Parts: sequence; structure tokens; C-alpha cells
Amino acid sequence: MREILHMLVVLSIICATSGAVLVNLKQATKSQIEQQVLTYVQGPALLTVLDNRDNDPIKERVKIDGVTVFPAMKDGKLVGVALEAFAPGYSGDIGVMVGFDVENDELLGIGITTQTETPGLGDKVMKPSFTDKFKGHNLDSMQVSKKGGDIDSIAGATYSSVGTVDAVRKAIEVYQSIRPEISNIWKNS
Amino acid sequence: MSRLVKEFVKGLWDELPPFRVLLGLCPVLAVTSSAENGLGMGMAVIFVLTMSNLIISSIRKVIPAKVRIACFIVITASLVVTVELLMQAYAYPLYQKLGIFVPLIVVNCLILGRAEAFASKNGVVLSIADALGMGIGFAASLTFLGAVREVLGAGTVFGVPVMWESFKPAEFMIMAPGAFVGLGVILAGMNAFNRYQSRKKGEEVPDVMNGGCAHCGACGGIQDLKDK
Repeated sequence: MREILHMLVVLSIICATSGAVLVNLKQATKSQIEQQVLTYVQGPALLTVLDNRDNDPIKERVKIDGVTVFPAMKDGKLVGVALEAFAPGYSGDIGVMVGFDVENDELLGIGITTQTETPGLGDKVMKPSFTDKFKGHNLDSMQVSKKGGDIDSIAGATYSSVGTVDAVRKAIEVYQSIRPEISNIWKNS
Repeated sequence: MSRLVKEFVKGLWDELPPFRVLLGLCPVLAVTSSAENGLGMGMAVIFVLTMSNLIISSIRKVIPAKVRIACFIVITASLVVTVELLMQAYAYPLYQKLGIFVPLIVVNCLILGRAEAFASKNGVVLSIADALGMGIGFAASLTFLGAVREVLGAGTVFGVPVMWESFKPAEFMIMAPGAFVGLGVILAGMNAFNRYQSRKKGEEVPDVMNGGCAHCGACGGIQDLKDK
């Protein structure tokens, strides 16, 4: 009995101490990690979709209804916003950063942030030859051509293409729902 | 003092983790596609191993023998999460490259092996010496294998081009099969070197290094049947 008690106490103390240390560490590194993810995961995609700007979208990001919105400003005027959306591809979620032209309500472009698609096949959705198809696209009828849209899916990578298009469509829905707030926040610019 | 030096040095050659005792092979094969990745993984292992040996050896007298493995795992896992968080916060590109293999340090047999075989039976100072020796040996091995694969597979070392201009990199070497080939050639080379050294000293060469299959018992049964 004493032996069992001893085991229980020691193991519990070790687990509790580990837990306490990790909770504190997690808290301490949280903001730093967020910064790193923004720089290395979303940063590269973000900078390609919002290329016509003179501000730092990462620094000036705003949270609207739980969605992080990155603004692109030019001469003090809001020209575009970007936000990220996810949709399942062939294996795992595909993350897509979608840029919107706020003046004409069309797409500025898209960039893939995270994906685990098949190398050499599904990961072709990251290539400009695919992502360029979204440049200047309107906000309606975001669908692959097989389902009546105008985005041709990549041969041999239908799931990945559909996943990307789904993510873009989700981003468009989010954009349209927060559109009034966007104009409200950057009203003076 | 000499004991301290002995425990440190044994990890560098005599018990070199991946190449001599063949421990912790999963990261050895998986992350050594470049010298930089190998070094990064090695540093993470040095940290986890040293800290786990330090903690385990200092509380070894309170850990009940029956749940010692559970205690070791909890401690190792916490340290690995620590490394993962710190790497995410301060070395994100490296974290992106090493990916799943950072959390998998938990199940690296090297760390549990040292905890069980050394730290749970020896004092704090000796355990740290053991961990540093083993860790540095492990990191050096990973960096070496990474460098070999990177040179042949990409023509660079730590990203710096080292081969002549018309060199055509064999991409195969930085893919998964290259890891097995690289590891196998290094092991063969080390065995050949050790055999040469033993011969030179006039010592008897252990059967294991003799190239023949006599030491392996696997087909002994068949031979017995034939004899009958």
C-alpha cells in the first residue's frame, strides 16, 4: 500500500511540475510564435498577393469577427485587404491567403500558405501557373470548370485544385460578410 | 576526474550513438538531407539529453523503480515540448524543416536509453558528462551524414557550393533512399577502419567485423538440418 502511494505521489508531482512549467512557457512564447508564423508562413504569400502597397500589412493587421485581416495601403488610402481561409485538399487542409481589391470588389490574387499535398502532383497548386488564374477574378462563380466555374483544375490533381478553390470561395464569403466593417474601419483613408 | 573524461569521450567514438550502437536511427535517416538540418536536430537532442540526464540523475533516488519509465517519459516529453516551443519562437525556418521530427525526439531511444542505462544509476556530474558526450557524438554524426548527402545530392555544404561547376548533383542522395545508402556506406567504412586498426595492433579481429556470416545465428538451424 505504501509503495503504491509512493508511486502515485511521485508520478503526480512530476506530471504536475511538468505541466506547470509548460503552461508558463507556452504563455511566454505565444506572441513571439505568432509573430514568427506571420513572418514565415503567411508573410511570403501575403506579400505576393498585396504587392501594390506602401505599408506593412503584418504590422497593421486587424481582427474582425475573429478573422485576421491584412490591409494594403497606398498613399494613405486602403487599396486592398487579404485574409486566410482553409479547405480540405487531398491530404489535410490547404491554407490560402486571398487578396481583395476593395475598390472594384475583385480578387487581387491568391497565395498558398500551408499545404501537405502530394509532392510533384498536388503541390502544383502553389505554382504561379495555377494561382495566377485567380488574379482579377470576380467574386461570383468561384468554382472549378468541372462544376460549372471557370477555374481549370490541374490535371491529376483534382482534389487539390478543388480544395484551393473551396478555400478561396470561403475567403470570399468571409470578405463579403465583413465588407461593411472593412469600409468602416478604414473610412477615413 | 579520469572517470569523468572517460564517460564524456565514450560517446564520441567507442559508443558513438548512431554509427556504433545504432541508437536513434529515425532522425538519423530522416532529417539529414542537409548538414544544417542535421546540426539543428543534433543541437535539439544535445539540449534534451543533457537536461533529461541532469533532472533524472538528480531525482533518481525518489523515483520508484516500478514507474521509472513513465517518469522518464514525462520528463523527456516536457523537455521536447520546451525545445519545440523555443524553436518555433526563435528559429522558425529550422522548425519548418525539421517538422514532425522535433516532437519525435520523445521516442528517440537514445534519450530513454541514456536515462535508463546511465542517469538513473549515476551522479549528476557524471550524467551530464555522459549526456554531453553522447549528444555531441550524435550531433556530429548527423552533421557528417547530412554534409555527405548534401555534397553528393546538391553540391553544397551548409548551403555553400563546394563542387566544381559542371558537377551534376545526384538528387537521389537527398531523398530517403540516399539516407540508407549513406548510412550503410559509413557503417561499412567504420567497420573496415576498426578491423584495420585491430589487425595493426595484432589483436584478434572480432567475428562481427570479419565480413563473413559466421557470427549470425539465423541460418545455423538450416546447417544443422543439412548435417543430419
